[in-house]
Amino acid sequence: MSRNNIKQVWALLMVLVCVELRGSDRASAAPICVHGQAGCHFLSLADLFDRVIQHSARMHSISSDLHSEFEQYVLPSRNHIGRINRHCHTATILTPNGKENAQRLAREELTEVILKLLVAWKDPLWQFHQNMVHQDDFNNFSSNKALEMSYMVHELRKGVEKVADKMQHLGMISNSLSGLSSPEALDPSSDTSGESQAMSDHDLLYCFRRDSNKVQNYLKILKCRIVPENGC
Amino acid sequence: MMWRDVGVTLILSLILPVVAQGARHTPPGKPKLTSCRSPDKETFTCWWEAGSDGGRPTTYSLFYHKENSETVYECPDYHTAGANSCFFSKNETSIWVNYNITVVATNALGNNFSDPVDVDVVYIVQPHTPENVTVGVLEDEDGPFLRVSWEPPSKADTRSGWITLIYELRVKLEEAEEWEEHRAGQQKMFNIFSLHSGGVYMVQVRCKPDHGFWSEWSTASYVIVPDYIPRERSMWILIAVFSAFIFLILTWIITLNRSSVKHCLLPPVPGPKIKGFDQQLLKKGKPEEVFNSLVVQSFPPRSTDYEDLLVEYLEVYVNEKQELMPEGKDLQDVGCLKSKSQSDNDSGRGSCDSHTLLMEKCGGVESKDESSYEEPELLQGQAGSWERLERGDSQVVDTPDSSDGRVKTWPLVFSPSIHGSSDNHHYGTLEMPKQHSTSEITYSVPDHLFPTSTSFPHHHHPEYRDSLGEYSEYRCSRSPSTGVAYHWEARHPTQAHSNFNIRNLERQKEATGLGLPPSRSMEYVEVQKVNQENQLVLKPLSSHGRGPFQVQFGRAGVDYSKVNGVNNDNVLLLQRQREMAEAGQYCNYREKEGAEAERYPTQQQGKTTKDGPVATQLQESTCLTTSGYVDTAPTMPTF
Repeated sequence: MSRNNIKQVWALLMVLVCVELRGSDRASAAPICVHGQAGCHFLSLADLFDRVIQHSARMHSISSDLHSEFEQYVLPSRNHIGRINRHCHTATILTPNGKENAQRLAREELTEVILKLLVAWKDPLWQFHQNMVHQDDFNNFSSNKALEMSYMVHELRKGVEKVADKMQHLGMISNSLSGLSSPEALDPSSDTSGESQAMSDHDLLYCFRRDSNKVQNYLKILKCRIVPENGC
Repeated sequence: MMWRDVGVTLILSLILPVVAQGARHTPPGKPKLTSCRSPDKETFTCWWEAGSDGGRPTTYSLFYHKENSETVYECPDYHTAGANSCFFSKNETSIWVNYNITVVATNALGNNFSDPVDVDVVYIVQPHTPENVTVGVLEDEDGPFLRVSWEPPSKADTRSGWITLIYELRVKLEEAEEWEEHRAGQQKMFNIFSLHSGGVYMVQVRCKPDHGFWSEWSTASYVIVPDYIPRERSMWILIAVFSAFIFLILTWIITLNRSSVKHCLLPPVPGPKIKGFDQQLLKKGKPEEVFNSLVVQSFPPRSTDYEDLLVEYLEVYVNEKQELMPEGKDLQDVGCLKSKSQSDNDSGRGSCDSHTLLMEKCGGVESKDESSYEEPELLQGQAGSWERLERGDSQVVDTPDSSDGRVKTWPLVFSPSIHGSSDNHHYGTLEMPKQHSTSEITYSVPDHLFPTSTSFPHHHHPEYRDSLGEYSEYRCSRSPSTGVAYHWEARHPTQAHSNFNIRNLERQKEATGLGLPPSRSMEYVEVQKVNQENQLVLKPLSSHGRGPFQVQFGRAGVDYSKVNGVNNDNVLLLQRQREMAEAGQYCNYREKEGAEAERYPTQQQGKTTKDGPVATQLQESTCLTTSGYVDTAPTMPTF
């Protein structure tokens, strides 16, 4: 008799446990973690911004290093003739050139500008890395940096897209951004394919250093505008 | 007329250059742009330095054109930033745009262009110094510390994230020379610990954008640290005082117990602990008195009935060749010489052979001399190991059980070591391999003769050697009941012709098994000792009343020496019968294993002298026996 009772109790317990689990599954739409809880993997928007900004800072530092190396070792042996007429392939992208200009832009537009820049640099950097492998101008250390640079651009773009998704999810920006995520609209390489290839290495490095700085600054402005904290 | 014109023209042409040289006017020298800086990444200023002015007032103007544009603009503001500067306001400043700037120096005679400079505002940012630097002293449980706080420069817009600044501060005592620098990151507050109490500190702060130049150091802020005792130092003081206190207490305790401490640390060397041994007497130099005290008067137990003391007699058959007259006697040593004749039919058995003998007799004497002897190892002796002497050359000696023609030699002297060791009798059989050249003696101690031995653990095993001149050693372990142990070493009676038969005679019953060859003379001999040639020194038993021992065999001297005791050197102290009053002579035997010769230190008048390895003549070592029977065989070396 006691054995049967015990079995019944166990069965009941199992049923209850199963029901509980199923019940929790239905409520999985809500985030498990509350914002700011310790040990939780839920990332707040501020954390996401911080990560992205850190990423862009690193990207910019690498590009600065490469540019200075290039100017120090490679450039003296070349002519300076094309120097003044530098033309970056991202010049077609309208970017704010000052603080007021940047603050006047809407959040969506600012995000869009960032994404456009990042998209525009993916292919040229990869080309640059391929070229560098075959040349003797740079040492292995530089070629590693170039590879890392192209990789980071890709990662940063994904990160910014995630931030944009989150912002849209939270309702901070409108959903007009989704229309821009199509590769055809954002990718200027289709328009300026010839121009990007005509760029010299030095110009490419110069242009990319500037554009990475732009991205970093825009991200900071965006962050302080969306999630103002004591860091701003 | 013409000459006059020519002269004037000539004079004028000569004067004019001189006049002109005196008032030297040249186009201006080349100016140079020294630096361009932006404090906030929204405006910037460029400075230049003038070249030689060429003697004429020179004006400078700055022209620039932006990247990818041919339009040349002139500097909008020459005055805001001071002399030889150009200030670009917000409207004229574009970030991430390359400015190509040139300065032109112009005077009446001409102008001069400087080298163009490319400027991107983003990379020339140098903010102003941090503002509102405040330093305060706060208290903590560890002591006071400085808290430095500041604010970013007012012009740098960090609120909107346009500029990100990182800060750095430096501290030093007012009288010190080196600054101590700290990076503060993006925070606007910093704590400084480990201060000198009562010192005056100077603090300065500066900042830098993430890509740009360091600002100037802010003006120094002074702060005075109040007096305090560092907790660390106070802790050390406390520890020092406490340990000094403990040290004093320990010293006091040790001083009080000086003697016991000394006794504990440096244990005194134990002196000899011999009951009855008086060190003072020894110091006085009268050893015989000292040793007299060691002598136990009651030892050996005297009884007029020597029969009791006798273990048994051995019959020794001496043929022509042999010289030795082994005599088996009761192996009277310190404790173990009491024998009772056994009723078993084994002739030639020594006293130790009989287990019952040992059990009963050996125990009695032991207790007295326990303290006097110091070789516990020597206390083992085999009870009743016997030697089996070969008859002739190759005659095999049967087991002692068979009696005819048996030759049994009594085992030689054992050094009695009576101690508390409770070893057991150890009976073993020792078989000596035959020696060809010299003596060949086989020792055999049948185990079955001593049935009690099996119950005892065997502490030692008989050792025997194959080589010449060695001896076998038996060890007789003491039975726990008797407490008497003795051991002897069976030596080769290295007589070349040690063919002698020894028949063991029991005291009560007689070993009648011995059949003596008629050609042999039979008499009772007593094995006195073994000389250096490994010869059994026997003395016939019949010569009881003779004089002192004739050590060589064949001589008649018979004397039984009574063992008075054993001294420290494992030496049997025999007492001369006739010289009871005297100290007696002592035969000291000391032997070593192997082929070393024996030593016969003789003791004259109570003094023990130890000779060298070379043994003295046998005649010199006279061992007198009195009432006891002693097998004055060489003693076992101490172990």
